[in-house]
Amino acid sequence: MSRCDFKIVLLGSEHVGKTSLVIRFVNCRFNASTPYQNTIGAAFCAKTICVNGKPFNVGIWDTAGSERYEAMTRMYYRGAHAAIICYDPCCLESWTRLRHWLQELRTVEEECKVYLCGTKKDLIDSDEVRREVPEDIVNTYSQGLHGHCLTSSKTGENVEELFQKIVEDCVADINVMKDVKELRVQLQKEDEKKRVYCFC
Amino acid sequence: MASTSKDNVQNSCSHDNPEKDLEPGASHDSILNPTDSFEEFASEMNTSLEGRPTDVTKKSSTISEIQSEIGECSKELKETKSSENLHNKDEAISSSVSNSNLQEENGDDTESEVDDYLKSPELVNKEKHVFILSTAGKPIYTRYGNEDKLAGLCGVIQALVSVVEEQNRDILRSIITKDCKAVFLVKGPLILVGMSKSNESETQLVLQLTYAFNQIVSVLTLTQLNRIFEQRRNYDLRRLLSGAERLIDNLLIFMEKDPAFLLGAVRCLPLPEKVRENITNAIISTCHKIRDLVFAILIAGNQLITLVRMKKYTLHPSDIHLLFNLVRSSESFKTAESWTPICLPKFDATGFLHGHVSYISEDCQACLLLLTVQRDAFYPLSQAKHTISDKLRRSNCLTAINDALNRNKDLTTTNPLKHIGIPEIRHFMYKCKSTAQLFTSDPISLDRLQDYRQRHKEGGDVVKNKVEKLSDMDYVRNYREFCSKIHCAQSPAKLIFRSNSEDTILAWITNGFELYVTFDPLMEKDLAIRAVDRLLRWIKNEEKRIFIMNAPTF
Repeated sequence: MSRCDFKIVLLGSEHVGKTSLVIRFVNCRFNASTPYQNTIGAAFCAKTICVNGKPFNVGIWDTAGSERYEAMTRMYYRGAHAAIICYDPCCLESWTRLRHWLQELRTVEEECKVYLCGTKKDLIDSDEVRREVPEDIVNTYSQGLHGHCLTSSKTGENVEELFQKIVEDCVADINVMKDVKELRVQLQKEDEKKRVYCFC
Repeated sequence: MASTSKDNVQNSCSHDNPEKDLEPGASHDSILNPTDSFEEFASEMNTSLEGRPTDVTKKSSTISEIQSEIGECSKELKETKSSENLHNKDEAISSSVSNSNLQEENGDDTESEVDDYLKSPELVNKEKHVFILSTAGKPIYTRYGNEDKLAGLCGVIQALVSVVEEQNRDILRSIITKDCKAVFLVKGPLILVGMSKSNESETQLVLQLTYAFNQIVSVLTLTQLNRIFEQRRNYDLRRLLSGAERLIDNLLIFMEKDPAFLLGAVRCLPLPEKVRENITNAIISTCHKIRDLVFAILIAGNQLITLVRMKKYTLHPSDIHLLFNLVRSSESFKTAESWTPICLPKFDATGFLHGHVSYISEDCQACLLLLTVQRDAFYPLSQAKHTISDKLRRSNCLTAINDALNRNKDLTTTNPLKHIGIPEIRHFMYKCKSTAQLFTSDPISLDRLQDYRQRHKEGGDVVKNKVEKLSDMDYVRNYREFCSKIHCAQSPAKLIFRSNSEDTILAWITNGFELYVTFDPLMEKDLAIRAVDRLLRWIKNEEKRIFIMNAPTF
């Protein structure tokens, strides 16, 4: 059983920068010199985030964008409290794929809070690349969702803020918090049981 | 200059063998399945067109066998699970096929452009090419250059293969020219071609192509691979393999350099017996209650530290090599815990095992793989990993692993030649056949492999330059011919002794082991044999450190 209070899953096409986003958030670094490597399967990281002075343990699933893992991705977002769907504003294809994930989430995990995240903000700001996904379309899409932001894993801009907002939204959600409390109680019981077992 | 003999030399060799009953490294239980790959490939080479297995998946699935064994008491649960499994598999394929991009190759390329590309520096003068295409002739992988531009070449390959099959009712195996060997292998829906200007034998090339095929199976499973092409003969497999090219790239480099592939054996990280025992016990005591766990494998730098397995099941060295390759090629395992489907083709080509893969700690480069048949076992395995890592730290095992990995000078196994004290020996490699394990005098250091990889990215061209300090990688090249003579199906040699002005090489195979030794030039035969005797005695002495001598189970 997971020892995390909240489960966040990252979805999106390959090469949009999901892993970089997670590494920036969890390890606070970005390595521009390492060449791109696709994620194999999915990677799990955990980090503690404080809201209102209380610590919450957040488990983050960084899924693979490659098509061959698509069938598996469902098992990662099952039971997720929040999903970050990433796209690269300079790659129209990644935006088109995003709708697929939205639909999947709506049918499979209705309760899951959905956040859109445009990556590689530093590149857009520096005018190095041309934006292919029009802003107004993004805005229309994100209206029904829990949030949208542009992040840069290279500079760290908006990364911390995105995750902080997600956790705050979760904490504010009574239904989610009910689950969290139940889970904590259950884990505590299990631990006690183990301790008793150890003494015998 | 070569002389092959099965004569009295061998007798004189074994007369004072310290322990005649068991060769160094042999034990009654083996964690590895010691089937010799060479025999297998020899048989592959002898199949006729009619005898070629069309449906390789008929064999019953080991994974479902394990699942049903575990699920005996919770049948209902299992049934829903497995049907869901199937359902998802179907979905995976239908979705991927329906999404497939059916754009035909752009026909704008004029013929001369295509010809020009084949002559471009990207492709010309490479030591070894590997091409993979579908039996429909669609390019899937090329080691150098861009597959898109090789559609014409793939068409030619496909035509060659199918003409021989259809008109002559035969199999095209190889085309040999003065300076180049081209080897063809048709496996399921794929055609694999290797073209080498190096000294590899046909069998060795087929072995490498088979590994490349297995690497593809390892990311897709054979079931999925076959089904995709049954549904759509013209499918562009690159879509599903995206990202896996680097696994094939690395595997090809790895096979050229590491003798483990040549000998079909696994190298173990040399460790004090007690340390290895502690590590194994830490894993067993943590994991024995996790019912669906099939294998727990700890590896470091392409070497096996320990392998704990479910009773009845063993792993084949080639499956372990694929795991080594996966771990070596994936940086992402270093930053997070991974949960990934892995198919081990020799273990069960039809389905996925699910692997929890992570480095044991930030200060230790050992990677732990926990392989299970249960697709949602991540959290218990994650917890098990943390427990194991704590136990290893407390018992100082991490330090011992690091010492061995960094080749600490105080360890006898770090520089075996110095320790053995026979100055004439330059290099040796020893394979214990019953356990499929390997030991060489100069294991490839990871840095050197990394260097090589970097250089290779830029080149891979045929070059003739004198290397100053020879290592495993360079000796492998020399041993290749000896290895193929010893494994030659028609008239295998038992002992080969060749001496010339550059070096002296002795290759010796018995029922229990294979040994290849390089001496100084112009070494005399009886002197060499006496040295080999001492060498074997040293290996016997150190066997508990350099080999895994038991086969622990959960």
